[in-house]
Amino acid sequence: MTLEEQIRSNRVRSGMLVLSFGLVFVGIGAAVQAVYGGASLILIAGIAFVYAIFAWFANGKMVASWTGAKSVTKEQYPELVRAVENAAIAAGLEQPPQVRVVDDPSPNAFAAGGSPKSSYIAATTGLLGMMDKRELEAVIAHETGHIRNRDVRLMSLAAVLVGVVALVSDIAIRMAFFGGGRRRGGGNPILMIIGIVMLILAPIAAFGIQMSLSRRREYLADESSAEITGDPEGLALALWKLEQDTTELQHANRATAHLYIETPLNNTSGVRGALSGMFDTHPSLDSRIESLEKMGGFQLSALVGQQ
Amino acid sequence: MIVVYVIVGVVVLLAVWAVLIFNHLVRLGNEAKRGWSNIDVQLKRRADLIPNLVEAVKGYAAHEREVFEAVTAARTAMQQATGPAQAGEANKQATAAIGRLFAVSEAYPQLRASENFQKLQDELTDTEDKVAAARRYYNQTVYQYNSRIQSFPDLLIARLGGFNEREFFELDQPADAQAPSVEFPGSAAPQ
Repeated sequence: MTLEEQIRSNRVRSGMLVLSFGLVFVGIGAAVQAVYGGASLILIAGIAFVYAIFAWFANGKMVASWTGAKSVTKEQYPELVRAVENAAIAAGLEQPPQVRVVDDPSPNAFAAGGSPKSSYIAATTGLLGMMDKRELEAVIAHETGHIRNRDVRLMSLAAVLVGVVALVSDIAIRMAFFGGGRRRGGGNPILMIIGIVMLILAPIAAFGIQMSLSRRREYLADESSAEITGDPEGLALALWKLEQDTTELQHANRATAHLYIETPLNNTSGVRGALSGMFDTHPSLDSRIESLEKMGGFQLSALVGQQ
Repeated sequence: MIVVYVIVGVVVLLAVWAVLIFNHLVRLGNEAKRGWSNIDVQLKRRADLIPNLVEAVKGYAAHEREVFEAVTAARTAMQQATGPAQAGEANKQATAAIGRLFAVSEAYPQLRASENFQKLQDELTDTEDKVAAARRYYNQTVYQYNSRIQSFPDLLIARLGGFNEREFFELDQPADAQAPSVEFPGSAAPQ
């Protein structure tokens, strides 16, 4: 797929994402209507509509506040800002994205925002402490690739939309079970059961949409990184370092997980661990390193041995 | 009558096709131009930094005349270069000369400790990195642009529209201009 095709398909997908988000919300609205009656459907659909418009324009800021990513200057983080500037030049962006830093010991990075001009790249302090110049440049180039490929709007939108679906259906379920005091009393029990089932299914559908977006995009951004830096080995080394690390990102949640260069949820115990293959937002680091090895014609094990 | 319609139809289609190709070539050409201006900005910045660097080093090592002359000559060559190929040669010359200057400065600990010198060194490293970054983008766009206007049928439009090949900038291996491509395990997976 060429870059232009990728950009076009991302634009279409952004539209489709908003649409399917609308459908999920109509579903939630219908479900709440079934449980409570009244004008719930219109009310919820209206709120969702307003939220979607808001999300289209402000998704970058929303993601920043959820993830704790703060704007920084070149004086504070010269190396990071330079890496961003250089990657933007090599990627052919008209202007470098803004730079943000998340104060968190777990190494990770993401890009968010709308158009390339309003996008930003965020890195954690853990990443800055762990990576050398070459590896940092490779990671930043991966995020710059997301911006150039126009992945960011789609991915940030997914984050803010998935987040709110999960939140709303959660509230609705709680109210259905513990709310008591139903004004209309009774209602059709079959409809009520269908409604509750829909409320449970809504976030699952939302996660499904989110997962379908991200896996392939990561390989593409890895390829873009290699193109931008001309150094697939650097990215392979960086991914290898990320693989060694198992600290969890404090601010990460299920809704924003797909934004990061590496999955921020490393917790592999319990049910989540057992289901991890099914609900992964990222391909495994091993398979990503493998495709970089093929691209660059090198063996990571040999590089790591040198260090 | 039908024959006329067919002819008119074919002519219209050809015209539309030609316009589309033309626009695409213009866009590729503009990308290459933008890529070049990115390099140009950094080369100018580099040329502006050189006199300051020479001054800084002269303060401690005035007798290294030969090195200063080499650096100044390289700077003049950079400023007089016309076109990417010449600019590339001049830039290589400048990189070598600046390298020598830094090698000389190793012998003067006081110079190396001076804040001004460190700042200049840092700035020059940054311009070098940025030239390298801009070069990758520029050469890739030139590669795309040149291969389009050299191949049939775009070649016809390129000839008529006066599109000329562009020069690469410091391209040591032609393969470097091509974007890497790879088959990845995810490509078969549903998106």
